[in-house]
Amino acid sequence: MVRGGKAQPEEREKFSREAMTYLDHLYRVAFHLAKEEDGAQDLVQETFVRALGSYEQFAAGTNMKAWLTRILYNFFFDHYHQRKRWVSTADKTGEEEGGDYWEKIPTENPGPEGEILTKEQNVKINEALKRIPEEFRMPILLVDMGDFSYAEAAEILSCPVGTIRSRLSRGRRLLHQYLKRYIST
Amino acid sequence: MTCEEAQELITALVDNELSGLEQSSIEGHLKECPRCRTTYQEEMALKRDIRRAGTTLSAPAALRQRILSDRRLFPERGRKTEGWAWLVWPARLASRPAFVAALLVLVIVPALYLMRPAPQPISLTALDTHDRILRGDISLIRAESQEELRAQLHRSVEGRFAPMGYDLSMMNLRPVAGVVQDVKGRKILVTVYEGGGLTLTCYTFQGSEKDSPASAALFFDPEKKINFYIFSRNGVNGVLHREGSVICILVSKMPMQDLLDLARSKSRPS
Repeated sequence: MVRGGKAQPEEREKFSREAMTYLDHLYRVAFHLAKEEDGAQDLVQETFVRALGSYEQFAAGTNMKAWLTRILYNFFFDHYHQRKRWVSTADKTGEEEGGDYWEKIPTENPGPEGEILTKEQNVKINEALKRIPEEFRMPILLVDMGDFSYAEAAEILSCPVGTIRSRLSRGRRLLHQYLKRYIST
Repeated sequence: MTCEEAQELITALVDNELSGLEQSSIEGHLKECPRCRTTYQEEMALKRDIRRAGTTLSAPAALRQRILSDRRLFPERGRKTEGWAWLVWPARLASRPAFVAALLVLVIVPALYLMRPAPQPISLTALDTHDRILRGDISLIRAESQEELRAQLHRSVEGRFAPMGYDLSMMNLRPVAGVVQDVKGRKILVTVYEGGGLTLTCYTFQGSEKDSPASAALFFDPEKKINFYIFSRNGVNGVLHREGSVICILVSKMPMQDLLDLARSKSRPS
C-alpha cells in the first residue's frame, strides 16, 4: 500500500529506523562507488534524506533494501555527471593506486573474528574490483555482496535481467583473471 | 553446447537463477566437460570470497551517529536537545542573593542528582559480557551436548525459564558453552555459540522491551509482528526481541544486518 498525504513525524521516524537496518549494506555499496570514506558517508546520509523525501512513494511491505539501493545509485550518478565530485577509478590499474587500499577501509569488526579473509586476499579482491569497469562491478556488488536476485539488481540498475547475467559472467571472469592465485576452490 | 555458450549459464547456476530447462542443459554439459566443471567450482569460490570480503566492511560508528542525530530523519530525537528558549532568566530576581541561593538548591542539587551516571541497561551489559567471554575472562559451563547444556542452564533458574536454544547450524554455529549471570538480582542465561571463526552469544532472561538501550534503533517485522531493537558498541552488535515474558539478545561482531536477519529468522511470535 502506498501511503497518501504528508507523513507524520512518528511515521517518518519509524521509516528511518527501518532504513537504519540497511546502513551497513548501503555504506558498502557507497564505499565501492565513491572510493573514499567521506564521500561514502555523504552519499549514504543523502540517500536517507532523499528516501525520506520520497517516503510516500514507498510501498510498505516491498523491498526497502532494493529501494534504498536504487536511490543511492541514482544519486551517485546524478552527482557524478553533474558535479564530477566523485571520480571513478574503475578503469585504473591496481599498480597506479597502490596496494594498501583495503587497509584504509574502516571496519567496526577488527580482531580475529572480523578477519575472515587474510589481509592479502582482501587487498587483492579490492584491487581486482577497482580494475574492472563500473558496468561489471555494480552487478557484482549487488548480487555477490548485497545478496540481490538478478531481477532486483536489474530493477536497481534499470536494465534487463539478461544484462545482469551477462555482465556478472564477464565481470567474474575478469575478476578471476586477477585473483586466481588467491581464490581457494 | 559449446564451452563459450556455457559461461553465462554457469554464472546463473552459481547464483541459482536458472530455469528448469536451462539447469538440466548446463548440468548435462558439466557432466561431460571437465574444463567447465572447474570453471563452475572457481566461480563458486570467487562468489563466496567476494561476499566474505564485503562483510568485513561496516558503516563507521560516526556515520551511524550522524544519521541518528539528523533531525530531518529523526525529528523526535532532535527535539529533545532543543526547547530551552522559554527559559528566560528574570534579571530583576537574579540580582537578589536569596533567590539565587534558593535556585541553586532547587535546581542545581536535583540536576546533579539526575546527572549521576545512570545504571547501565542489561542489554549493554550483554555487549560487555560478550567481550569478556571472548577474552576468556569468564568461566564457562561446558557440557557434553546441547541438551545437557540447556538442561543445566534451565535448572540454574529453578525451571522458571529456559535458554532460547536456537539451532544456528546453518550458520555453522554450535552451542559450546554457557554461563548464568546475575545482574542486580536478575538471572541471565548465556549460551555461547562458536563456529567458522565466529562467536555468538545468546542471552535469555525475564524482562520487557524496556530492557533495550534508549539509543537502540527499532525494527518492526510486519510478518511476525515482533519488535527488534538493534544496538552496538565498540564493534559489538546486539539485537533484542521479546518472546512472551522472555527477552532474547543475540550478540556478535558479525555485521548488524546479518545478525538482525538471523534473529528475525529464528524468533517465534509470542
